[in-house]
Amino acid sequence: MAQVPLAIVSHKRQVCSLYKRALRNLEAWYDRRNDYRYRAVQMRARFDENRNKDLGEGIRLLAVGQKELFETKHFQSRNFANSAGGCAFEREVIPPDWLLDYWHPLEKAQYPEYFAKREQRKKEYVIWWEKQHGKPDPKDLGHH
Amino acid sequence: MSFTQIARNCGRLAATLGTKRMASGAVIQSQAFRMMHRIAVPAVANQVSQKFALRSYSAKRTIEDIKFRVLKVVSAYDKVTADKELASSRCRWQTQSVRRYSAKPPLSLKLINERVLLVLKLYDKIDPSKLNVESHFINDLGLDSLDHVEVIMAMEDEFGFEIPDSDAEKLLKPADIIKYVADKEDVYE
Repeated sequence: MAQVPLAIVSHKRQVCSLYKRALRNLEAWYDRRNDYRYRAVQMRARFDENRNKDLGEGIRLLAVGQKELFETKHFQSRNFANSAGGCAFEREVIPPDWLLDYWHPLEKAQYPEYFAKREQRKKEYVIWWEKQHGKPDPKDLGHH
Repeated sequence: MSFTQIARNCGRLAATLGTKRMASGAVIQSQAFRMMHRIAVPAVANQVSQKFALRSYSAKRTIEDIKFRVLKVVSAYDKVTADKELASSRCRWQTQSVRRYSAKPPLSLKLINERVLLVLKLYDKIDPSKLNVESHFINDLGLDSLDHVEVIMAMEDEFGFEIPDSDAEKLLKPADIIKYVADKEDVYE
């Protein structure tokens, strides 16, 4: 969910994002590393020559750049395996931590040291929570 | 006991003996002997060709050379173990006996630290002498925001997962990157 824009993104960050996506696009087009580096240096030079433009010009150039990126987008860009579009995206299911609390006591008894430490950690977390946020209101304690 | 039953029992006995022999190292030893014989054959052929001045495909060797070479190869086969047998029969990349099931090699904080610093040292805009775990990319090392994007991309490539922009802008020190990678990979020691 980190990709969903939840706030207004600053111009600087948009330019950085455009630069990153442009480089990744070049990486998809040029699979030879030396070719890619050559194009990447050229791309960097294009970004650098507009470094000291004013904001209005910058916004216009950003729109032009985004349009160019859209038009030159690779048809099958490379993705990291675990990010959206990758081959292992959401394939690895990591069970949540609270699942361990629902183990049977006999199962827990097989790992006595770990579960003793875990109980201790839970107590410490409650202390930390109360220090941070104060004691919980007694009427909030039960299920709503 | 009928005749067929006796025959069947004999067959079973032979089968068990055979498997026992298969299970022990004797088979491997005998294979090694066979190998020795195979190695020795060209040497003998070469000897013969030298004697009768027939055509020889290899460079001319003295008897001492051949003896040395054969003994060297035979001594390599002398202690035949299961993995050597595998190594000789298959390609080298197949001999790795540990299956990783596409898991990554285990990371530790120290290893992450070394890898992050190595990537940063190899980046041409960073002076390796100034580089420190706590040095700020923009204030101390003099990078600009686009260089920072390049650094983050190098880290993505190094560790093989994507770092979204919202997280990337907080990673302004090598220590932050190390901590972030350790959190992502669930490494805590």
